[in-house]
Amino acid sequence: MRPARRPVRWRLVGLLAPATLLLAGLFLVPLGIMATYSFLSPGLYGGVEWEFYPFNYGRVLGAPLGDVEEFDPVYAAILLRSLRLATITAAVCLVVCYPAAFWVSRLPAPRKNLFLFLVTLPFFANLIIRVYAWMLILRPTGFLNTALDTLGLAAFAPDLMFTEAAVIIGLVYVLLPFMFLPLYAAVEKLDPALLQASADLGATPWRTFVRVVLPLTAPGILGGCVIVFIPAFGNFVVPALLGGAKVMLVGNTIEQQFLAARNWPFGAALAMLVLASILVFMLAVALRAGRANPSVRS
Amino acid sequence: MKSTVASIGHARLDALLHIHGAHRRFATPEGGIVSALGGVDLEVRTNEFLTLLGPSGCGKTTLLRAIAGFEELDDGEILLGEQPLSGVPAYRRPFNTVFQSYALFPHLSVADNVGYGLDVGGTPRAERNARVAEALALVGLAGLERRKPKQLSGGQQQRVALARALVNRPRLLLLDEPLSALDRHLRQAMQVELKALQHRVGITFLVVTHDQEEALVMSDRIAVMQSGRLQQVGPPGEIYDRPANRFVAAFIGNSNLLVGTVTAHRGDSVDIETVSGLRMHAPGGRFAKGDRVEVMVRPEQLSLDPAAGDGPTIDGVVETVVFVGADRHVQIRTRTGDALTALQRHVAGAREPGLEPGAAVRVSYRPEGIHLMQGEPA
Ligand SMILES: Nc1ncnc2c1ncn2[C@@H]1O[C@H](COP(=O)(O)OP(=O)(O)OP(=O)(O)O)[C@@H](O)[C@H]1O
Ligand SMILES: [Mg+2]
Repeated sequence: MRPARRPVRWRLVGLLAPATLLLAGLFLVPLGIMATYSFLSPGLYGGVEWEFYPFNYGRVLGAPLGDVEEFDPVYAAILLRSLRLATITAAVCLVVCYPAAFWVSRLPAPRKNLFLFLVTLPFFANLIIRVYAWMLILRPTGFLNTALDTLGLAAFAPDLMFTEAAVIIGLVYVLLPFMFLPLYAAVEKLDPALLQASADLGATPWRTFVRVVLPLTAPGILGGCVIVFIPAFGNFVVPALLGGAKVMLVGNTIEQQFLAARNWPFGAALAMLVLASILVFMLAVALRAGRANPSVRS
Repeated sequence: MKSTVASIGHARLDALLHIHGAHRRFATPEGGIVSALGGVDLEVRTNEFLTLLGPSGCGKTTLLRAIAGFEELDDGEILLGEQPLSGVPAYRRPFNTVFQSYALFPHLSVADNVGYGLDVGGTPRAERNARVAEALALVGLAGLERRKPKQLSGGQQQRVALARALVNRPRLLLLDEPLSALDRHLRQAMQVELKALQHRVGITFLVVTHDQEEALVMSDRIAVMQSGRLQQVGPPGEIYDRPANRFVAAFIGNSNLLVGTVTAHRGDSVDIETVSGLRMHAPGGRFAKGDRVEVMVRPEQLSLDPAAGDGPTIDGVVETVVFVGADRHVQIRTRTGDALTALQRHVAGAREPGLEPGAAVRVSYRPEGIHLMQGEPA
């Protein structure tokens, strides 16, 4: 059913105007600059030359290519790898946080609040320092391997530094709270009486999980996955520190184009491609969510 | 073998559920221990409408949850026929519950809520749909199949919860204060409807309530509970007319309760004298001279009509008259200082004795209207 048409509320418009203007100024303008730059040619020492130059995209996509630019499949590979690692990160976060959210939601209130505080605690420390700490843990002579060594398990000591595993560990570590909070909010809302009602009607615990718990916490799962996936996809600190040159992700590739290679238009083109991928992904999610729950109304 | 057969004697054959010595204690956050069930023995008979009645916190919900399988007993056992239920998870017990909060699945339509048990049980689609339609028709909700629970009124939700449980044709339907969320009129209508429904579907109902009127209206039998113990189990009439103790007498209906001593024993009846010195005559062959007794007289057993025949009488003075619709509750102070409430049916145009406060009245009663209970020794 469609809600009845309501008169325009001018007061609401007035209240929303500052936020709208701020968002437009801070997001749309820079985005416009980026989009524009991605179609310009790079200046010799950074900056841009003001001529129409669509070939930045060609280096990634294969077309169009001018006489200067060459198609390099490494960028497509980096995009795909970023996509893959972001997906794995979201999946690992989900698997870790889902049971934890249930556990915390059943705690008595004071310990619940303590736990929620602990989850947000890492935000108080600088991201780069926290990722650096992981370098100290994961490097060949780091804490992890020293610990295994002293336990006499030196044979099992892995060399994780500059591997995809290290990047995933780092991304999961950084983004875990973003998965936990929306999941927790959804799980907390789940009425335990519904689980009992399901059991009462003859459903085994597994059946109850599939037919009641999963559908009712789906919004939290979806929300958590989206807000983990997107920053994981574009993150540049973690792959730069834990992946190095071996595990380039699109985030640190873009960073390099802007800073080291000083090719702003190509960096902008890569950034636009990331944006496009995420928009497609979000659209798919939104469509799915809309189909799964058509009666959701504001 | 023989003993088994004997134990299935006629008394047990018509019993669906036996509860023996059920104990359940909870540790409270304050550090104490609450005994929610302190040794409950109860038998639920096949096809009866049994009500569990008691004040808030007396353990009704705990007992219901123990039967449904959401609560383990610390001690005692629950038998379904001959089968002990301890260790049987809720989803394998052939009972269904109507939860106090209804606990309808918010993401499912009315039809899918009602069909949930059948879906989980693997009932074929065609049969499932037919039974869902039948159950919804039974509770008067045909046509609302596609609504979500949020789009229903409280009374409608309650019916969906009922249909969702009934459609599975459980051996026993457990209802935890099913009507408490409804307004007075709807509640009274549903009480009658629930009773009629139980009759129609032929399923055993075990209903929890703290509303004694509701229990009297609906039940075949009432089990009165207090502080984790059963006080009395019996048909409404018996509970009302012959309560087992002071608690039951006070909890159900209005009553005048006095404490007295048996002064003389005459065959089937006794003379008693209350602590204040009021003398009364009552049936009570089982009491001996000198016994302490609790004396219960229902207000409607006391007559203020001067022409009320030749029964025993008590003299007193009217203190207040409370108008409660069809009746008047006349509060009387007897000469001996006891407070008694008499019920006066209000009939328009009828000649009424002078009932202004301060007026002298003569209360008459019939000895059969007085019920004696074992009193605590002085
Ligand atoms: N999980 C629990 N932990 C601690 N105490 C509990 C728990 N469940 C019940 N109790 C206590 O056990 C006693 C019986 O509770 P129960 O819910 O069975 O009462 P009830 O008769 O259903 O009351 P009401 O009419 O208010 O619903 C109460 O004193 C209650 O505080
Ligand atoms: Mg209760």
